[in-house]
Amino acid sequence: MYALVDCNNFFVSCERVFRPDLEGKPVVVLSNNDGCVVSRSNESKAMGIKMCTPFYQVKHFVDGGRLTAFSSNYALYGDLSGRVMSILAEAVPEIEIYSIDEAFLHLEGMDPSGIPALCRKLVDKVRTWVGVPVSIGVAPTKTLAKIASHFAKTYKGYKGVCIMDTPEKRCKALSLTPIDEVWGIGRRLAPKLMDRGIRTASDFAQRPREWVAANMNVNVLRTWEELNGVRCVEEEMLERRQSICTSRSFADMIEDPHELQLRISDFAAMCASKLREEGSAASQVTTFMYTNRFREDLDQYYPSATVCLEVAANNTQEIVSAALKGFRTIFREGYKYKKAGVIVSEITSADAIQTSMFDFEEEKRRKHDRISKVMDSFNSSGSLLRLGTQRPGHYADGIRSDFRSPLYTTDLDDIIEVR
Amino acid sequence: MAEYDDKIQAFIHAGFPSPANDYMTQAIDLNKELVRHPAATFYGRVVGDSMIDAGVEEGDILVIDKSLEPQDGDMAVCFVDGEFTLKHLRFGTEPGSDRRRLTLVPANDRYPCIEVEEGTDFKVWGVVTYVIKKIR
Repeated sequence: MYALVDCNNFFVSCERVFRPDLEGKPVVVLSNNDGCVVSRSNESKAMGIKMCTPFYQVKHFVDGGRLTAFSSNYALYGDLSGRVMSILAEAVPEIEIYSIDEAFLHLEGMDPSGIPALCRKLVDKVRTWVGVPVSIGVAPTKTLAKIASHFAKTYKGYKGVCIMDTPEKRCKALSLTPIDEVWGIGRRLAPKLMDRGIRTASDFAQRPREWVAANMNVNVLRTWEELNGVRCVEEEMLERRQSICTSRSFADMIEDPHELQLRISDFAAMCASKLREEGSAASQVTTFMYTNRFREDLDQYYPSATVCLEVAANNTQEIVSAALKGFRTIFREGYKYKKAGVIVSEITSADAIQTSMFDFEEEKRRKHDRISKVMDSFNSSGSLLRLGTQRPGHYADGIRSDFRSPLYTTDLDDIIEVR
Repeated sequence: MAEYDDKIQAFIHAGFPSPANDYMTQAIDLNKELVRHPAATFYGRVVGDSMIDAGVEEGDILVIDKSLEPQDGDMAVCFVDGEFTLKHLRFGTEPGSDRRRLTLVPANDRYPCIEVEEGTDFKVWGVVTYVIKKIR
């Protein structure tokens, strides 16, 4: 079984941790440069504000006092995400961080009767410890777990946990899920399926396998299998990834920060190279490390940190810098690390990278891109070329963020004031 | 962590490990000592003098652990009337009934106690575990 843990309206929920007065009120978070709405509270959804609405279209609500808007505060979201992920990682043998606000928990080998209690405990723990609400969907495949988590989030009766563990529950849920909301189907394919009379996930799952195989590509067939409870989407599946993960378990545990930095910069460089290979670019870089959970005699620590780039990138310099920046925020002395990795996510096509209006770094970036090309040609000859100096860049320079909240967790000058 | 920035100029495996490494023990790490639950720990800065008699002054840094169940006598950061406030918690029951009642008690005579009814829009945000003072 898989559990998908999904943070509800994550960016808005992060803001509310430090602004409890905004619970139950309409709130939105804006994209880079305050361009458009990227996260909405349930109340702002109810006002009819859609995802990606340009800010100027809802500004009158803000001016009229009916809506609170925040600029993106990626330092805050990255920090709170790391906290959520560390709580999850401590609870189960294996976790796959899927994005800044989602993770799959692998529940193999667990007593099924204990799963509901575990999930409920996690929902409560994350809410109490970090302050953000999460929903958990449990099902035999990742695609079904996604659907289950949507139910857990949407219907209050589930209280945040939906376990889809019987064929009856699965059928019911699939019949209530529009086909375009199925993970892996997407907006482009959905109209084609609807043309053939497939309106819900259930309509699709009930088509004969032969029909799907004959009419659809292999990825869609995988989705069909997954909806029918056959596990197909494995870790690091390349075809339709929304993230790329490079990670390794170490033969010996590592506690030396220099050694860890070296490994992590290699992982990040590999991610960057994979991005360039497929012509895409990422705007989130997550660094994670695990101690050895089987060594109960040792202190345990499962940190992760996500660094958001203002503009999606695929050059080695920027990806490695971001990964090391993440590393520096989570590294603690005194732990023996068994595994580490880097995940790049929020992947877009490299051609479609949205440069922000104030991208002062553009010239520098072109230079980095050229260096990466040289590295690719060199590395493909079989040797590994590493960058000599890697320093975290200041990607936020010159970006418009008129409504950014304080850096409550990452800057001592910005911590909450208590009277 | 800034020290690592400077050391890591080049990623080159070189040299013999120092034999002293075998004898290294961990130096005291205040992060580990003062932060029992890193995922649940936040910091706050004291403004004003409502807890002055408890030795908490303006400018002090509070270590706040949201994972702890608030208990009678705790010093806690609470959210009241749109702002964070620092108070002692006093749990009790209302006379003649078993309804739980919470009183927020300042450590300064010039401030009033605040009675909190159960079910009101009120929040104990986190329990204070340490107060850090700058002396010089």
